[in-house]
Amino acid sequence: MITALNLGGTTNRDSLRVRLSQIDWTLCVLLTGIVCAGALMLYSIAGESWTPWAGRHLILYGVCFVVMIGLSLVDPKVWYASAYPIYGVGVLLLVAVAVIGHSTLGAKRWLDFGPIRLQPSEIIKVALVLALARFYHGLPQDRARLSWWLLIPAGLIVVPAALVARQPDLGTALLIVFTGGLMMILAGLSLRLVAAGVVAFGAALPALFAFVLKPYQKARLLTFLNPEADKSGAGYHIIQSKIALGSGGLMGKGFGLGTQSQLNFLPEKSTDFIFASMAEEFGFLGCAIVLALYAAVIFIALRTASIAHSHFARMAASGVTATFAICVLINGAMVMGLAPVVGVPMPLLSYGGTVMITMMVGFALVLSVKVFRYSEVTRSGGFL
Amino acid sequence: MIDSAVLLDHANERQGLFQRRAFLLGGGFGLGLVALGGRLAYLQLLEAGRYKLLSEHNQFQMAPTTPPRGLILDRGGVVLASNRPDFRLLLANDDNIDVEATLRRLAELVPMTEARLLRLKQDIEDAPRRAPVAVVEDMSWEEFSRVNVRSPELPGVTADMGEVRVYPFAGAFAHVVGYVAKVSAKDVTKTGPNAQAILLNPGFRIGKRGIEKAFDLPLRGTPGARKIEVDVKGRVVRRHPGGDVPATPGSTIQLTIDADIQNRGLEVFGDDSGAAVMMDVRNGDVLCMLSAPSFDANEFVRGMTGPDYRQLSTYDRKPLFDKALSATYPPGSTFKTMVAMAALENGVDPARTYTCHGSISYGGRVFHCDRVHGTLGMHDAIKTSCDVFFYETALGLGPNKIAAMARKFGLGDTFDIGLHQRPGIVPDTDYKRRAFPHDPVWHGGETPSMGIGQGYLNLNPLQLCVMAARLAGAGVALQPRLIHSIGGVVQPSGAAAPRLDVAPEHLAFVRAAMASVANDAGGTASKNVKAHLDLGPVKMAGKTGTAQAHSYGAGSRKMEHATWALKDHAWFIAFAPYDDPRYAISVLVEHGGFGAEAAAPKAAELLRVALLKDPDVRARIVTIPDGIGGHSPASSGSDAPVDEPVA
Repeated sequence: MITALNLGGTTNRDSLRVRLSQIDWTLCVLLTGIVCAGALMLYSIAGESWTPWAGRHLILYGVCFVVMIGLSLVDPKVWYASAYPIYGVGVLLLVAVAVIGHSTLGAKRWLDFGPIRLQPSEIIKVALVLALARFYHGLPQDRARLSWWLLIPAGLIVVPAALVARQPDLGTALLIVFTGGLMMILAGLSLRLVAAGVVAFGAALPALFAFVLKPYQKARLLTFLNPEADKSGAGYHIIQSKIALGSGGLMGKGFGLGTQSQLNFLPEKSTDFIFASMAEEFGFLGCAIVLALYAAVIFIALRTASIAHSHFARMAASGVTATFAICVLINGAMVMGLAPVVGVPMPLLSYGGTVMITMMVGFALVLSVKVFRYSEVTRSGGFL
Repeated sequence: MIDSAVLLDHANERQGLFQRRAFLLGGGFGLGLVALGGRLAYLQLLEAGRYKLLSEHNQFQMAPTTPPRGLILDRGGVVLASNRPDFRLLLANDDNIDVEATLRRLAELVPMTEARLLRLKQDIEDAPRRAPVAVVEDMSWEEFSRVNVRSPELPGVTADMGEVRVYPFAGAFAHVVGYVAKVSAKDVTKTGPNAQAILLNPGFRIGKRGIEKAFDLPLRGTPGARKIEVDVKGRVVRRHPGGDVPATPGSTIQLTIDADIQNRGLEVFGDDSGAAVMMDVRNGDVLCMLSAPSFDANEFVRGMTGPDYRQLSTYDRKPLFDKALSATYPPGSTFKTMVAMAALENGVDPARTYTCHGSISYGGRVFHCDRVHGTLGMHDAIKTSCDVFFYETALGLGPNKIAAMARKFGLGDTFDIGLHQRPGIVPDTDYKRRAFPHDPVWHGGETPSMGIGQGYLNLNPLQLCVMAARLAGAGVALQPRLIHSIGGVVQPSGAAAPRLDVAPEHLAFVRAAMASVANDAGGTASKNVKAHLDLGPVKMAGKTGTAQAHSYGAGSRKMEHATWALKDHAWFIAFAPYDDPRYAISVLVEHGGFGAEAAAPKAAELLRVALLKDPDVRARIVTIPDGIGGHSPASSGSDAPVDEPVA
């Protein structure tokens, strides 16, 4: 019915009321659910206090939510037009951070603009998705499968990934590479080439380990393989996280009663390891509910991408979804001792401003794709 | 429009491919999430028990609590070592604490020298992860409350009330009882009792010497534990008294030592250097075992500073050294009792005489006597301590028979009293062969020296006391007993020993000769009035000894001109009452000169204390009327001199 209505009158379609009704409110509710679960945990681990995390988490989400709704009403044409400039600014900021960045814990990740602290590696996540979507929109199918043209998206991926890895922030760099790779596959990359790439990567792994990784990164990897070897050192994160998870059991220890997080045995409890805190206090049931929320978000976002008419919209929405899903999987695997400790937060659950802004802007894109799913961006070919 | 059709076709094909791949990707993500769920189920459902245990292990700790250390008592129950409450402050090294600043603020409230402050800073930094270190101990209540009021300004400082070891007699028992001190790194072992976590507790002290060391484990008791909840930094979040395990106090150890005799002993020695050991002849109980000068054992509990320790360790009268057990000296003429016993047991007639002309020549050497004694038998030779008689007797016996007899009397032996002893040397031909590979033969000229307790002979005061006790006793190889009971369990008596394989009449002969030494005109110890027992009918028997500490050349003695360190060692061994022996004693005065002058008066005084504490002996002195007691001047007056020390 709605579809028919929209096809019927062009004047109606552009009114704000109709546009708002086109927003995927189910997705909004799911995202809010995840954020509220995060706020609940942040409240608990702060010793049942809104400060320092839970209150700010919710306020930031409120602001981001309004921004997201606003951005979701922006026609994808605008996103399309600004894709390359945004990407360019993102890369420039990454270069800037390498030159004049503010360092915390030995890593240069921040840019200080007076009261605002900017983490360009977060901006580049969305910027890359836009740039790749923009590029593939104009690239014919056969070239997207296998051609020299593909060196361009490869370059678009590698340049920011290398800059981020240099900070050093291996987790985000991996995230960028994975997201970009998945978008190339979605765009139609030859699966044989993918298989060959995986084999080559596997073969190059020892060399990568020996020459590219920093000592602390190597230590993390080795520790991941055998966490018991260094209980108080690098293996500590993994061991304590598994203890938090396992001791939660089916029903959890109860709200505010997670000893691992309350007594600070769990490191990074408000950020990277918040899922472990939750598992400890709310047990398997709580975790299953949150994982189901994530699964639903990923499903809805991918479906939105599939039904869009323009290739740019499809690619952009799926790119955002891929970033989100990879984040969830890497963080989940890390917390459960299935992956090495890399600094990838659990999106929307973990405390952290920049990550939330990035994700919400990304979902604004997904919502906008839904709202404008019938509009074609442009009829012209070409990727420039 | 061909272009548009192609474009549309192209677009549809592209959308189809995208949708297929998006579907696959969604499936991949779904699989990933299911895998995470599976892993969660494994950890949270199957392994939950194991991780719950690990979590509790993180959360709760059992903090060891120090048990009260066992008391050490004398035979009458007088406390020789006990514990008193100790207010102290602990400071634990923590990430967010400036140790030095905290110590400086503390120094404003409690006096603290700069050196001590730096030492403490080092201690705290060296301490294991966040283990609290006692920074101020033994505070007065005023200081303690002053700091407590200001505690918000002193992060990391916690007030604590513990116990500290105290030795009420400070010096008199320092060598026997020993002392406890801070646990040092080398005290802690990987296994065994010294691996206990309690050793790391601030304020815990470990036995370092004497009984405190030998019986450290029974005295220590069993540590208890407090169940505490800690955070990741080891800070106590809350306590769980329900899970506490109470500590078992250490066992009380009762010694056979008599505090009155021991304390009097230290007074009697004054500045003199030496040792005294007294035993009960009937059961081997060690009533007194002291080494003088002594030191204040409490200093070691507090932790001695460098200069104080250096002062003690460099003083030439060696207060830290236990001269009763760890030092050996030539026994001098006290050893003549052994030569006499060896002669009698080997069939020498006690009436056999030698003539003393002041010296003899043997093997090209001249052996001197202190004067010309003329012709005399064994009894008089012991009484007057004639060297020539014993040179000749020893030559007649040879070293092996003398050595065998000495060993029967406990010389060269160590005894099971828990304390370290140096066995010394009782030489014979075997010893010579072992100790002198370049000159393995016993030369005849070495025998006369042995006959007067010189030469290779080296013995400790405990051994000489055992010898005196076995001479005085009922013919058993009496063993000294220092520990009366541990935790109420009485230790076996020293009289439960094999028979002493010598003829009783020979023992009686030597005892009679020793009685003459102390009581008869011409006896070496009877000339000095200060060496008299003065207890009426209760008399002592003894033997003097003056042992060369330094070789001045054969036989010559120019002691009057010698400095302290070159003077002879003075010995006296005795037992009393001589007709019914109960107490035997040996006294050594290092570089004291003549035995009769330096050592015998001390022995007499200590025997007097022991005898007057003995009700049987006291009854004898009091009830026997004047006159019948014989020629003793003391009993002819009133009872006053007798009653005075008793009261």
